[in-house]
Amino acid sequence: MKELRKPIGRRSLLKAGGFVAANGALGAIWALVTGTGAGASTSGNLRKRPRWIKVVRQPTLGETNADFKRFSGFDMFALYRPLKTQREGAGSFEAEQASKAKRLIAWTNEKKPGFSLPDQQLSEGAWTVMRSARPGVGLLSWTRPPEDEPKEQISQRYTASPEEMANTVKAAARLYGARLVGIAPMNEAYVNLQVPHRDRPHKEQPPKDVQQKDPHSAVHPHEGEDRKSGDSLAHHHSDKDQKGEQGKEQQKTNQPPQDKDIVFADVDVPEVTDAKFVIPRKMKWVVAIAIPMDIELLARTPTPLGDAASALGYSHSAFVVSSLAVFIRGLGYEAIPCVNDTAQSIPFALDAGLGELSRLNKLVTPEFGPAVRLCKVFTDMPMAYDKSIDFGLVEFCKGCKKCAEACPSRALSFDDEPSFKTKGPWNNPGHKTWYEDSYKCFQYWQKSGSACGVCLASCPYTKGDQAWIHEGVKATISMAPPTDGVFRIMDNALGYGKQHAPEQWWTKDSPSGGRG
Amino acid sequence: MTNSADVITITMRKHAWWFWVLAGLWLQLEVLLVQTALASVRESEYRAAVISGIAAAVLASVGVFGWLRRGDSRKPDRPNESI
Repeated sequence: MKELRKPIGRRSLLKAGGFVAANGALGAIWALVTGTGAGASTSGNLRKRPRWIKVVRQPTLGETNADFKRFSGFDMFALYRPLKTQREGAGSFEAEQASKAKRLIAWTNEKKPGFSLPDQQLSEGAWTVMRSARPGVGLLSWTRPPEDEPKEQISQRYTASPEEMANTVKAAARLYGARLVGIAPMNEAYVNLQVPHRDRPHKEQPPKDVQQKDPHSAVHPHEGEDRKSGDSLAHHHSDKDQKGEQGKEQQKTNQPPQDKDIVFADVDVPEVTDAKFVIPRKMKWVVAIAIPMDIELLARTPTPLGDAASALGYSHSAFVVSSLAVFIRGLGYEAIPCVNDTAQSIPFALDAGLGELSRLNKLVTPEFGPAVRLCKVFTDMPMAYDKSIDFGLVEFCKGCKKCAEACPSRALSFDDEPSFKTKGPWNNPGHKTWYEDSYKCFQYWQKSGSACGVCLASCPYTKGDQAWIHEGVKATISMAPPTDGVFRIMDNALGYGKQHAPEQWWTKDSPSGGRG
Repeated sequence: MTNSADVITITMRKHAWWFWVLAGLWLQLEVLLVQTALASVRESEYRAAVISGIAAAVLASVGVFGWLRRGDSRKPDRPNESI
């Protein structure tokens, strides 16, 4: 007992100190790596990003060449039907749609997992807000309605430092549901040349430039153009609900749908006329926004449940940008809310530091991976710009290729290095990336009876936010690229990225309703 | 009568500094694995949950076994030799 009363010796003190120091150091390293940094504040007004998300001068895949210019605006939704007719002959599109419709009815009747009536209607319901969001009108109006003209007492403009203005807008955007917000400079090259008419997906004749560009065309582009138009393309984007009054009028008069030009002009307010959309040149700021998709739904793709994840993301996007536009107008400035329309969302998101360009040729964010929907608001409200980020994604993508392997239609590139080589007229040429074959992708959509999204679900960056270890893995990838291969193997070994049983979604305790 | 400080003192004296460093690392890894296993269940990633759960259990067994056998290596194999 006497020995017990001896004072603690130097040796014991050193041991205790060593224990505390070693474990404290480990904790400090973890905190340093996953903790917040000084420079990476692009994700929100006050929320700082971890230190492993480095701020860089320009996007990691930002190289462009002379071919880089404004995109036509004709994405695969507008191009699929004419391309199908060109490549596979007259009637191929209609036959495919009829076959798809039959399959869907059969799957519904036999209650195929993921294709039951509730599964399909869940997706339909999730599209509701987005379906009422058309460029330039209603929710996505480019101007304030006359009844909302500012009253005299609040007609004064809100002014502050550019940093404060940016923080104010980011705070509002986050309140409305944005999870990642950044400010990018306006770049006219990112703005589309045209807004395709909403009936464009139903038309067989492609835009002129597409007739010349498609290398796989086996049929004369004008063949079959006099035939009656068939069924809709895909139930989620272009079905009968999307046809507006304009479409009906044009069907009556048998006039081809008019695609509207998007132009820049030295005007004070945005204009939407019958022929064009006019963006004021003074709009030099773009609020780039990412809305996370529900990964429980996305994990059940390719089914209508997976489609509901996209639908919900789009509907949330429409709500966020329309609310933010009204907020900005209330501060005395002009605002143009856009979802997927009007301009390419990805380059603005890259410039605003929301993420990096990936093998998917889509944005991957450090927080939510590629499982986000992007939207943006153009404005003349002066704000501090954000910077691009680098979290080691491009290097990781070079070796990973999990998305390309998982893609059921083999639409994604297996090339080790990104290049300028495009796959078809749906690609916006002139920038270095891994270009995708959207035609193959869309063909699979018709075959599977639903939007796909397997690439998004399989990406190792698409993870839940419960386990601490995900943060540590992402930090290690960012700071030690030689470990990329190990984590890629572990991702497979641990079973991530596989489809979850669709029927189990309905018995989950609390459907999350997105992560926003 | 011994108080808790005495117990800590005695325990600290019994082992070298590297033992405590290893013990701390073991504890942190164990916590991480258990948290990952539980979180993976919440994320519906059951394979990840099972694997990290097994890893946590193995690590715990190694730790408990090591603790029970602590000091064995310092005991002479043939005690009579030391006499």
